[in-house]
Order: sequence, then C-alpha cells, then structure tokens
Amino acid sequence: MIRERSFSTLDLNFLGTALVIAAIGCMLIYSATYFSDPGLQTLRKQVLWVGIGITLAMFFLFVDYHVFFDVAPILYGIGVALLVYLLVWGKVTANVKSWIHIGTFQFQPSEFMKIFTALMLAKFFDTYDRAYLDLKSFLRVMLIIGIPVALIIVQPDFGTAATFFPLVAVAMFFGGIRWRVWVVTALIVALLAGAGWAFFLKPYQKDRIVTFLNPDRDPLGKGYQVTQAKIAIGSGGIHGKGFKQGTQAKLEFLPARHTDFIFAVLGEEWGFIGVAIVLALYLFLIVQALQFAKNARDRGGAFLVISLISFFIFHVLINVSMQIGVLPTTGIPLPLISYGGSSTMMFLIAIGLMANVDMRRFVNA
Amino acid sequence: MRVYRDDQKFLTFRINALLWAIVGVFVFLAGSFWFVQGVQAEKYRYLSDANALRPVTMPAKRGLILDRTGQNILADNQPAYSLTLDRVVMRPIVKADPTHRAKLIDFLSVVLGIGPQDIEARFAKGKLVPFARPIPVAEDLSMPQVASIQAQSLSFPELNVEPVQRRSYPYGTMSAHVIGFIGEVSEKDLGQHKELKQGDLIGKRGVELMYDEYLRGRDGAQFWEYDSHGRRLAEVVTARQAPVAGDNVYLTLDFELQRRAEQYFVENEFVGAAVALDPRNGEVLAMVSSPEFNPNVYTRRFTPETWKQISSNPFKVELNRAIQGLYSPGSVFKTVMAMAGLADGALGPGTTFDCGGSAVFFGRRFRCWRKQGHGPVAVANALKVSCDIFFYNTGARLGIDKIAEYAHNLTFGEISKIDLDGEKAGLVPSTQWAATKQHRKWYPSETISVSVGQGPLIVTPLQVANMMAAIANGGTVYRPHVVRMIEKNSPDGRVQKLQVASEVLHKVTLPPAALQTVKLGLWKVVNEEGGTGGNARVAGLDISGKTGTVQVIAQSGWFSTAGLPFMERDHAWFASYAPKDNPQMVVVVFVEHAGAHGGTDSAPLAKLLYESRFRNQIETARLDLTNPATLEMIKEGKLPVPGQTTKPPAIPDSGLGH
Repeated sequence: MIRERSFSTLDLNFLGTALVIAAIGCMLIYSATYFSDPGLQTLRKQVLWVGIGITLAMFFLFVDYHVFFDVAPILYGIGVALLVYLLVWGKVTANVKSWIHIGTFQFQPSEFMKIFTALMLAKFFDTYDRAYLDLKSFLRVMLIIGIPVALIIVQPDFGTAATFFPLVAVAMFFGGIRWRVWVVTALIVALLAGAGWAFFLKPYQKDRIVTFLNPDRDPLGKGYQVTQAKIAIGSGGIHGKGFKQGTQAKLEFLPARHTDFIFAVLGEEWGFIGVAIVLALYLFLIVQALQFAKNARDRGGAFLVISLISFFIFHVLINVSMQIGVLPTTGIPLPLISYGGSSTMMFLIAIGLMANVDMRRFVNA
Repeated sequence: MRVYRDDQKFLTFRINALLWAIVGVFVFLAGSFWFVQGVQAEKYRYLSDANALRPVTMPAKRGLILDRTGQNILADNQPAYSLTLDRVVMRPIVKADPTHRAKLIDFLSVVLGIGPQDIEARFAKGKLVPFARPIPVAEDLSMPQVASIQAQSLSFPELNVEPVQRRSYPYGTMSAHVIGFIGEVSEKDLGQHKELKQGDLIGKRGVELMYDEYLRGRDGAQFWEYDSHGRRLAEVVTARQAPVAGDNVYLTLDFELQRRAEQYFVENEFVGAAVALDPRNGEVLAMVSSPEFNPNVYTRRFTPETWKQISSNPFKVELNRAIQGLYSPGSVFKTVMAMAGLADGALGPGTTFDCGGSAVFFGRRFRCWRKQGHGPVAVANALKVSCDIFFYNTGARLGIDKIAEYAHNLTFGEISKIDLDGEKAGLVPSTQWAATKQHRKWYPSETISVSVGQGPLIVTPLQVANMMAAIANGGTVYRPHVVRMIEKNSPDGRVQKLQVASEVLHKVTLPPAALQTVKLGLWKVVNEEGGTGGNARVAGLDISGKTGTVQVIAQSGWFSTAGLPFMERDHAWFASYAPKDNPQMVVVVFVEHAGAHGGTDSAPLAKLLYESRFRNQIETARLDLTNPATLEMIKEGKLPVPGQTTKPPAIPDSGLGH
C-alpha cells in the first residue's frame, strides 16, 4: 500500500526534465567532439556515465530518504576516510618524485562527498528545531562542512573545495543566524584568511589560490577563452547555426568545448532559442525543487532538498555567467551537460534524492 | 528560554525569497545572452567567419641537465627551424585550385630532398593532429631550405617556418646511458599523459624519461587574428600565455670522474661498466656503460640506415650495463661470503682451511684458481689471495639459504630503486628458488659454485657497488640516485632549489668484529704484497677492495683465457672503497671478456678514479715526511722527492699488468 501511494506522488515532470537536460548534454558533447574524436569515445563514456547515474539515482529514489539519514554518519565517515586515504596514498606512491611532489590527486570522492555532506547537514537540521542556531550548533554545522573542505584544500584543490560553499550559505540562510553571529563569523574568517595567507601558505599554494581567483591572470579580462566563447555564442544569433554546424567548436577555436564551455556550443549551434530553452529547463528544475522543500514532510527533507538544489544553482549560475564574461573563468562544470563522470553521477543522485523527499511528502503515506 | 519557531512560515518565506532572487538572476542572464546573440550577433558572426582568433603554440624551453656542480651542461637546447603545414589555410586554396596539393608535394620534395611518398606519409601521420593545429612536416631545416620556403610563401601560404629549440647533448656520448634521450610521443604516451599532444617531444630513456615531468615545462600560446583568407593579421597581446620553461636537473655525476672512466673504456676498447658511489648517501658519482651511444642521433627522426646501424650492433649499445647488465659476481662475492660466515658464526677470525689446490665436496672435485694451492689460510688472508678452497668450505658450512639471506641483505636479488629506468634485479638462488621457479631439488654441490660467485647467481655492477657501500659504511643500504637537485624556475623569476634527500632503504646488522675482519681482508687485497688488487694501490690513500674473475666457458684445467676468442674470455671485476677508515667513495669496475684477471684490467681504472677524487689528500700524504711509509716509498723510488713536481696520473695502456 505504502509503495502504491508513494508511486502516485512521484513527480515525473521533475525526473523527465533532468533526463531531457542530460540528453541535451550528450547531443552537445557529440557536436563538440565528433570532429576531433572520430571514435566518439568521449560521447560513449558520457552515455555510460548517464546510464550508471540513472541506476544510482533509482536507488537513491526508492529507498526512503530517512534510511539515508540513519546511515548518513557512516557514509560521511567513509567519504572522509576516502579523502584521507587519497592524501596518504598520494604521498606513498609518488615514487621517485615523492620528495617534491606537490600533488593533484584524483578527487572523485569529493563529488560524492557533496551528497554525503548534504545528508549529514539535513540529518542535523531534522532534529534541530530552534529558531536560530546558537554558537555551539553553528560550529557543529561548520565542522560538518569544514572537514571535507579542509581535506580537499590540503590536496590542494581549491576549485572543488569552493563548490561546497553553497552548503555554508544554506546553513546560514535557512538555519537561521542572528546578525551578530554573521558579523563575528565574517571577522573571524577574514582574520584567519589573512593570517593563513601571511604565515602558513607556501608560495606555490598562494599561486594556486591566485590562479583560482583569477585563472587567466589577465588584467584586461579579455582572455582568450571568453573571447572565443563569446564569438561562438554571438555568431549563433537567434536561431543558431544548426546541429553540427558550429565552426568555432569544430575547428577547436573554442577551448574546453565539451566540458566547461559546452554552453557556448549550445549558443553557437542552437542560438538564443536553445539558450533560453535550456535556461528554462534549469529554472523549472530549481522551482520544482524549491516547491519540494516547501512541501516536505519534515525539516530533514526540506534541508536535504535545499542543500542539493543549492549545488545546482551554484554550478548553473557560475558556469553560464562565465560563458559571456559576467564572471571570471573557473573550472566549474554545467550540471548534467558538461562531460565528466563523477559530476554527472553526483547530480543524477541528487535528482533522485530530491524526488525521493517529494514522493514521501505525506505523513500518513 | 527556548524559542521555537513557526517552522513552516520561516522556511517558506526564505525559500520564496531565494526563488524570486533566482528568477531575477535568470532573467538577467537571459537578457545578457540576448544582448550577445541578438544585438551584437552581426559582429560576432563576422569574427567567427573570419576564424578570427587562432592559437600558435610557443614551445616551452626544456630544462637543462647539468653535472654535479652545474659547470657543465650535459643536455642543452639549440635553436633550429621546423616546417609546419596549416590545413585551415590550405583547405580553401585546394578548393579553388585542385592541382595545388600536387604542386605542394613537388615543391617540398625538391626542397627537402625526400621522395613524394615520404611527404605523403608525413601528411598521413598529421591526420591525427586536430585540424586547427598545424602538422609537423620537417625539422632541422638548413638555412638555404628556410630561404627557399620563405621565397615561395605567396604560392604556399600554408607552410610556416617555425623557430624551435632542439635538444642537443654537447658532450655527445658522455654519460649517455644516464642522461638518456628524448623522442616523439607515442600513442601510448598520449593515452597516459593528457597534457601531451601529437608531435611533442618527451623523455624516452634515462634522466630525460624519469624526470620528464620536471624537464618538460609548459607550452605557451600566442593568439593571432586571421582574416577570412587565412592571412595572419595581428596578435592579441592581452591573450598571450607565456611558456613556462622546464626545471633544470643537476645530476650527482662528477664530471671529471665520469670523463676519466669513459676514457678508460674507450682507450682500452673495453666492453663493460663502472660505478662510483658515495657510500654516505647513495649519490652516483660516475656511471659508465661501454660501448656508449650518441643521444644526438636519437633526438632526430631516424632514417632507415641509422636504425639498421643501431639495431645491428652486437654489443647492444642502448643497454646500460651498470644497471641492466647481469653477470656472475665471481670472487667479488667472497666479500659477502666472508661477512656471512663471520656474522653467522660459521667462521671465526682465526678459522683456517688448508688449500692444496683442489678439494672434494659432495662427491665432486672443485679447484682453486691457484694450482699449487695457498696452504693454510684464515679469512682475512683468504680474501687477500682470493682462495677458492677457503670459501668452498665457508659455503659448505653456511648452506645456500644462509648465503641467500646475507646476499639479499647486501642488496643482491632485487632492484636498488635507482632513479633510472629498466633496472634489473638479478638472481640469488636458494632452495626455495629451485623448488618454485625450477621445480627441482637444490644440490649441495651447487652451493659450492655459488660460494665463489658462480652458478645461477647473477648481479648488476650497481648492486655490487651498493654492497661495497654497505660494507664501507657499516651496514646502511642507501637508495642510489643520479639526480642531486632540481632547480625550478617560476615565470616571475623566482628560483626554487629542491635537493634530493638521501634515502635509507634498510640497515643490515653487521657485527663490529666481523666487519673489522672483512675490512682488514679487503685492505690486504690492495695493500699487501701478494694481494690480488695491487694494481689499484695508491701511495698516500688506503684503498680496500676485492677482485673477481668470471669464467665464461667451462674449464677443465688451469689456463689463461687471454688468447681465446673475445666471447670466450673471462670477465674481470674490481669492487672497492676508500679511504679505509672513513669511506667516501665506492668504485666498481667490470670489464666483459677482458681475458685477464680482475686485478689486471679493472683495478687500474679504480686507481685512476681514486687519484682524481682524492688528489689533494694524496699530495698531502706524500709530502708528510713523518710518515715512515712515505719515507720507505721515496727510498724505493716509488715516490718523487718532495719539491719535485709530480706528473698527473697517466692513463695506463691495456698491456699493463703482472
């Protein structure tokens, strides 16, 4: 009985929209790579990842999300252990170069860590029902987010660590914080950052931060990537050049055209109409998710949805903005569209979990 | 007081606030895209049609490889010219004039002096390069070739002459096996390193390969505006990405030692290897493998003739015999036997065996190298005269598995983890090895052969040097390394020097009394009359060592192999360290098919290297008239009278010996 009731409340429009976006992603990856990768290896891999991602999403959809709350500390612990393992392992195997190896380790676990951290956060708020976060609780929340962020910063991968920022915003905005705490937090962070910069960071680490903040190191902000992306998007006009007709992408004038700048391929081949449709699909996804959060059966469900959709919002806004130079270039992929295994799977799992919360919104179900 | 909130209201309000903020941002973004795609579309369409911006790679300067001091550059870069072809420019020309392609191939065939089919082959290879990137056609253009191509730039605008940096090895064959060489990336390399692209040059062997990540640097790019006819207009300077030069790599090699050692092999026409190590930290001071090859030949595209010449060389020039050559250690292994016997208690410092020239073990007769025998000998003197009978007895007492245990502890049977590619592990036999690898029983008589370094036991010269270093420093096994320091050059001009730390692989417990006895024996080998290593003796320096002679063919009697055909002659070893009380250098010399005793062909090189390395110390000792040994030697005419100038140590000719 419970099963039937749940299925009848499953939001198929929401899931369908996510799949349509993923399909558009595969089509754009084909457009961006068929010329330079005649074997279509890139596309094949992406299709495979979408397939695996859908399977994972089904699992995260049909198992009651409260079960995930129960195991959240275990998942979170495994995630932290994996991140620690990566750090230690990276040092041991760097053979001859171990003594100066600076290290860019694989950060796949960090993508899944986003889900686990969101689960931990939602579990916390599920049982915390006071109007505002007191200092102790606030620090606990920051610790939940801070541990994985710190482990990823040590790797050091500032770009990925920064993508955890939306969780901080969610905790502070939706968790409820008095304005005094805002001010004190801001001051402490500023002080710590200043001291860290001055005393603790090695020159190469500073370089990395500067590179992340300003990847082109281009004082005029007219970097090659953005210029090429704008040429691609602008030349698409209203209607676009048509499927497989984008010359900018085909001739490799457009860098990272199947990953960070895939939105420019959309702009070139499908024009403003294509851009508007994809933006509308994303907006629909976000609006639906926020409705899920409002209707959620409990605070835990609401916070889970808000945390997960915050990743979508952050990635979409930053990635789309940098296509036309509204924000500086960063290596942040477009959810469900950019080529990339761990990010695609992560976003599909997030879709599954959000639908899960909505499906079980009735207390008496 | 606890304040409970009205949950639903609080959340709903804030969710709605977020919702409207997001709708606002989406509207703003859509507006921005409308501005670019609607209002400015014409401008961007024009730029797109013109293929306005195109990247031109600025190759990074590959890091230098220098000797220990940095005074000698062993791998350098030289300016050269390459020819590339831009297919983006060529395509519209061929569309307009279908005969253009044939004309181009004729032209290139004449200028480059190669057949049209070779040019077609190079074009075909270029199909793997992304279309927007120029494909390499030829490198190392001569100035007349550059001139002819530039004269025809209007007819063939798709051809570009590009200044590049070509790798060069100024000293030719010198330390070629350590430095290695570079070459074009293979498909396999491309799969493993995402940052590489078709046509890139990367390290293929030696330090060039092992430290490629540091040496390579990062290519930069210029971005040029092109018009719709493919003509280059102006560079977008703000978009330029400067190339980052590779890091300089300082080797541990001592230029002088390396040069002398190589010269010795070349002048005597010896095949073999030599290794000089610092026993205090594992730094390789010299590493020679003879014959050598010229890495300059390898950095260019091979002609079929070059290939034939290299692959048909019977001495396998590319083989680094110091780390890849596997040989029986011969009598050098008696050092390990003496150490094992004393440490294990099978021998005492006074244990004596009577050598009568031959003896029977396990029903088989084994000979000593000296037909008339050595008489009764104890361990130190057994090392000195290299008595086989003594060590046959030692081996019989220890058994193969004890021998194997000590051999493993003293670095044999496994790679030493040196920072060079392709190192071989060798083999230390044991009963377990016979059972698992050979599926047979180990015969005790085989132990007798292993006791004098024959039988299935095989080692590399580097392992022998590592063993000697462990004896010299009292039991510490270091990881040998050929790189001392990496000098990182940041684009902003900062220089960061990263020292390679010495790494202890393991420590062997060598009882002090046993160590002292073995060291005494090794000292006697070189410094006492009747020792087999007298050819390495240097007045004023206490050198300790062990000679070795390896039979290549089965011998049924006592005779010299000097007159035999090359491939049947004996190998000659000399493994040593100095000074005896404070060892600072280990030298191992190995000569393949020398035909003579280890002390004759190998020891003189060790002597040369010690004389070079400890020149000041030797001179001081020779002037010390309070030293009775010095006075004795001056009397005998072996040393010049102080005040007279000494001749620099000369390189002896191959006929020297006793």
